[in-house]
Amino acid sequence: MYSKKKSPAWSPYRHMRRSALLLLVAAALAGCASAPVQPWERGRLARWDMRWDPDGLKAAIDNHTYFSKEGTTGAIGAAGGGCGCN
Amino acid sequence: MSAVARLALAAVFFAAAAPILAVEPGAPAPAFRLPTFDSAAPVSLADLRGKVVFVDFWASWCSPCRQSLPLYDKLRSDFAAADFVILAIGLDEDVADAKAFLAEHPVKYTTLQNPQGDVAKAFDLKGMPSSYLIDRDGIVRARHVGFEPKDIDVLKKEIAGLVAVSAHAP
Repeated sequence: MYSKKKSPAWSPYRHMRRSALLLLVAAALAGCASAPVQPWERGRLARWDMRWDPDGLKAAIDNHTYFSKEGTTGAIGAAGGGCGCN
Repeated sequence: MSAVARLALAAVFFAAAAPILAVEPGAPAPAFRLPTFDSAAPVSLADLRGKVVFVDFWASWCSPCRQSLPLYDKLRSDFAAADFVILAIGLDEDVADAKAFLAEHPVKYTTLQNPQGDVAKAFDLKGMPSSYLIDRDGIVRARHVGFEPKDIDVLKKEIAGLVAVSAHAP
């Protein structure tokens, strides 16, 4: 018999549905980990225009402008801590 | 979450992270047959059984390869009298890039092309460049990942040790 206390969304398979959904999400997340770029597939990544700063001179000029505007130096890339002391 | 669900979850993650078994020293070298860059007949590793084979994986975009490929030429001339063969497998997806690299750094040993990278996958390379020293019986005896000019001395010793040993009866 249908009981009034239980909501219409109640189902004996509720827990199973939740588990299945969790598994699905986990599988989708794990899927991202299974296709890393292999060492021999890095040809495109090694191209000069894939570099962070493909043009060293342009990067130096840009940084010079930036430092002049900000009145500080550093905090560009990994080097320098942005303390303005270098 | 129930214990079963937790186990299933763990299984999903482990299955996704399962590593392919790498070709370690002591394991038989995966068989391959690849075309050359100079339209000579394709070369098969099986045909070289009985010889010591040095298989090097390179690419035009791999900067240590600029040093290694010319140095291997000298290695070849050092062991010219021995049953020693160098197979350099170019992994450029665009074969024209590899050809341009070879025009810039010409070598005398055999260069093979594998733009699909399936042979690299079979060897399960861990880095570029990677090289494998295969004995007369087709067993990998040494593996090198990366290249520095001083590695040549190590290679020379390894090759000298392998060419001195004769093949086992099949």
